[in-house]
Amino acid sequence: MADEVLDNRFIVCPICQGAGKNNTGFACANCSSAGVGTFSHGRFFYWGPKLGRAMIELEHVRKKIHLIINITFFSIGLAGLLSLGLWIYLASAHSVELGMFAFWREQHILIMIFWIGIIADMFVVYRLSEEERLQHKIKSLSYDERNKKMDIPNNWTELKLSKAKFKIDVAGGYTPLAMEAVEQSYTLASRLDHEYVTTMHLFFSCLANPQVAAVFSRLNINGVKLTEKIRIQIEKIPNSGNKTKLSTELKEVLISAYLQAYNFGQKKVTAKNLIIPALEKDKILSEILYDFGVDKNKIFNVILWFIINEKQVESYRKYKKMARFKPATNMDRAYTSLATPALNQLGYDLTVAAKWGKLEFCVAREEEIKKIWQYFESGETGVILTGEPGVGKKTVIDGIAHLMVKEDVPKFFQDKRLVELDAARLVSGVDPARAEGRMMAVIDEVARAGNIVLFINNIENIIGITSGGEESLDLSEVLAGAIERKLIYCLAAAENKNYSKYIESTSLGSLMGRVEINEPAGNQAIQIVESKIGGLEGKYKIYFSYDAIESAIKLTSKYVHDKYLPQKAIQVLEMVAVNVFKKNGENSMISEDDIAHAISEMTGIPIAKLSEDESKKLLRLEEEMHKRMISQDQAVDMVAASLRRARTELREGKRPIANFLFLGPTGVGKTELAKTVAETYFGKEEYMIRLDMSEYQHPDSIKKMIGDASGAKGYLTEAVRGAPFSLVLLDEIEKAHPDIMNLFLQVMDDGRLTDGEGRTIDFTNCIIIATSNAGALFIQKQIFEGTNINAIKEVLINEHLSKVMRPELINRFDGVIVFEPLSREDVVEIAKLMLNKTRVMLKKKGMDLKAEEDGIRTLAREGFDPKFGARPLRRLLQERVDDKIATKILAGELKRRDTVIINERAEILVEKGVKL
Amino acid sequence: MVTNNFALYSVKILAECGRDLLMFPVWWYGRGLLGLIENLIQFLKNRQKSLALIVWIKNLFRPMYGQRDWQGKLISFFMRLAQIIFRSMLMFFYLLIAILVFIFWIILPIFVIYEIIYQING
Repeated sequence: MADEVLDNRFIVCPICQGAGKNNTGFACANCSSAGVGTFSHGRFFYWGPKLGRAMIELEHVRKKIHLIINITFFSIGLAGLLSLGLWIYLASAHSVELGMFAFWREQHILIMIFWIGIIADMFVVYRLSEEERLQHKIKSLSYDERNKKMDIPNNWTELKLSKAKFKIDVAGGYTPLAMEAVEQSYTLASRLDHEYVTTMHLFFSCLANPQVAAVFSRLNINGVKLTEKIRIQIEKIPNSGNKTKLSTELKEVLISAYLQAYNFGQKKVTAKNLIIPALEKDKILSEILYDFGVDKNKIFNVILWFIINEKQVESYRKYKKMARFKPATNMDRAYTSLATPALNQLGYDLTVAAKWGKLEFCVAREEEIKKIWQYFESGETGVILTGEPGVGKKTVIDGIAHLMVKEDVPKFFQDKRLVELDAARLVSGVDPARAEGRMMAVIDEVARAGNIVLFINNIENIIGITSGGEESLDLSEVLAGAIERKLIYCLAAAENKNYSKYIESTSLGSLMGRVEINEPAGNQAIQIVESKIGGLEGKYKIYFSYDAIESAIKLTSKYVHDKYLPQKAIQVLEMVAVNVFKKNGENSMISEDDIAHAISEMTGIPIAKLSEDESKKLLRLEEEMHKRMISQDQAVDMVAASLRRARTELREGKRPIANFLFLGPTGVGKTELAKTVAETYFGKEEYMIRLDMSEYQHPDSIKKMIGDASGAKGYLTEAVRGAPFSLVLLDEIEKAHPDIMNLFLQVMDDGRLTDGEGRTIDFTNCIIIATSNAGALFIQKQIFEGTNINAIKEVLINEHLSKVMRPELINRFDGVIVFEPLSREDVVEIAKLMLNKTRVMLKKKGMDLKAEEDGIRTLAREGFDPKFGARPLRRLLQERVDDKIATKILAGELKRRDTVIINERAEILVEKGVKL
Repeated sequence: MVTNNFALYSVKILAECGRDLLMFPVWWYGRGLLGLIENLIQFLKNRQKSLALIVWIKNLFRPMYGQRDWQGKLISFFMRLAQIIFRSMLMFFYLLIAILVFIFWIILPIFVIYEIIYQING
């Protein structure tokens, strides 16, 4: 809809350049003083009023005069009634005879006043109803008009000849408040001696409008700051001595606002309709708002939210009117239906509940309801709604109940009741034979009553219940029989999973038309959630900013995978509402950050806006990582850069955060770097899913990885489903079977994988790191010979890697990183890190560790093996340090407050602490 | 220019007031009367809807409460007839009210003027 408004092309009168009058100040003859206008839906729209300060003031005077006239006549009418009362009082003092009160036969000044008062009353009635009639309402578009292309004149001469009713002065459609905003913008520009009233003036005066203020407060914008910024812009406009006039752009804005209201089906143009056209015309304005974190789309959705609310209130009023005519008993209006005692016991009357306003309103599901009617119209008598849990199947049924109360339904549903049959109550407490008996009784009643539409939620519950041996009928088949003979109308609902598992293959499945209720996305989801917000706000006395709603939908759809929209978003909003109410009390505003925090807490994923600390940390990510990683600068740099890209959301959304292949000999820190990434990016080392690919050498092991249809869970898919934000480490990938490697082609490209049960697992929040030892010897040899690392990489990929991996897989990695063998110096540093870990553990026991530099060097020298990297060092430190310390603790030589010393010969000594 | 507009506009306001006074009787028997008739028709429609009179007439020969034996059909025919008569009476009553309101509207100005003249002339 927003684009539709954009599409309008404006035509400007070539003679007066849009001013609407010629140089002498008279109306332009060419355009009949319209100046600017546009064609839409076969009509011509223009802005009529010529604003001037005197005119505006006179207009106010006119309104006041009219008000005074109304009040005067109303008072005269009132005085008339009072004088009649007075006369009756006086007359009753003389006599009690009834004939005395025939005032129309008496002559008295009071009665004279009364008759004049009656005329005054009549006059007031006339004026009020005329005023209401003259209020120009925007004629809403009919379905045909919206879709029909109309021939319209394209020049002013032809336009002048066309009928007056096709020329619409948009000013007539403005509410008094919106008109006031326009007038104020004129007064402002004229007082400042500006030649033109611009969009900026209009926007400034709109900010004082309560509705516009509400829009910006929902967007969490500081009104004072915004006003200040706009004021600065207005002050930049140069003064001029001429009389102020409306600029052409402004007229275009005013016309666009009308068209927007027209497209939304509003009755009047309100000040909020001016916001978007103003943004479109004035680039500076949209830049200013952008600085406040608001773009056109957001404003559009907020305005839509207000309009949804207005429409909801309006339709509720209409609904209440209609609901009076719906009977509240189980009898239809023709008294042809039967009493239904069995059904009354097992069922719940949804139409009666809807009549008393106990059901939820259904929003943005018109398509689905239309499909349901289509099935019934085509002769089916059963329809089943299928969808994931929480998408709103029951709400659609509630919506149908509301429509039935309004009788806004096709003929076959009119004057009927919608009764929900509780499947649990049907089968509970009795054996299958009795349950079947109950079912039969209910179906008989429904069939005979003829005014009942049955609804069965979770219909799968009645499937598979049989009264005995193999020959006996299933409970669902009793129902299926009735539907097949078209004895009853039946609606049902089931989850997708249950539908395909239990219902699809049964006779019931083939008899009932299926309407899928899909998970709402984008604006549909926002609209549905917006329609529920009013209730939450009333309940908890807090306010939601628009960003909060939008982010609840965006973040839950991105990070919460086991539930569905709109339910999951509403649940999050409700949870946050409770928390914020407890924390900040009444009337506090819920922001985007509150939602992000709640979802972060729920999922353990860092999604809150980048805090300053975190930004600093990201900027020095390399430094952070080097606290754990010695050397391997190139690897650390590449990884850090990709993480920064991911966290500032400068990546494509449809792939994993990053895919890396780490190559290098054993023990150089490939796994260590992966762990470091998990810790720095996801917060904990535990957010790492480690797969030893040597366990997946057989083609059958694919089942182990992704599960199978029988329900066995796959190791990889389950782990990622449970923790979508994690690092997947594929250790020694070259050892896996080629079929398994092929799985990762899709994962790395599309960021998703279908598991054995057919569910799609999302990998877009994962970092995938594969390690390989392929060509390790080659790397060592080349490094030793001093070859350039890039040259090594090329040969490695072309000759060594291509033997174990398909080129398309290698190509999918964002980076192939070659880890250099460790130098002696690196090993010393690693030894220090490892000893530090031991020290941390000792600290926990109240002891300390000190190591001489030479001692560390000795240990490093002994533990260093160019072939095995840093691994031998770990073993050596275990033997030479950890084991010895353990022995000393057990022997009682090392106690609290003591310090372990590693001397220059790498021997372990104990320095006794102070005795207490 | 400003004064020109100002004068024009002041005249316009005065003219508006004058026109309002002149148009009043015309409105009363023209657009006002039409509006009244529309409202009365809507009122009667709503009454009809809540009495379901037409539904009853349409179903005159359909047995009530699903009793399809001949006794049931016989009883329900008379029962419905009785209901229809009763509901028609109510409906007639509403119709009467509507007609009275209509007549009242038509007579009111004439009557008031007559009364005022009567008061003046004594």
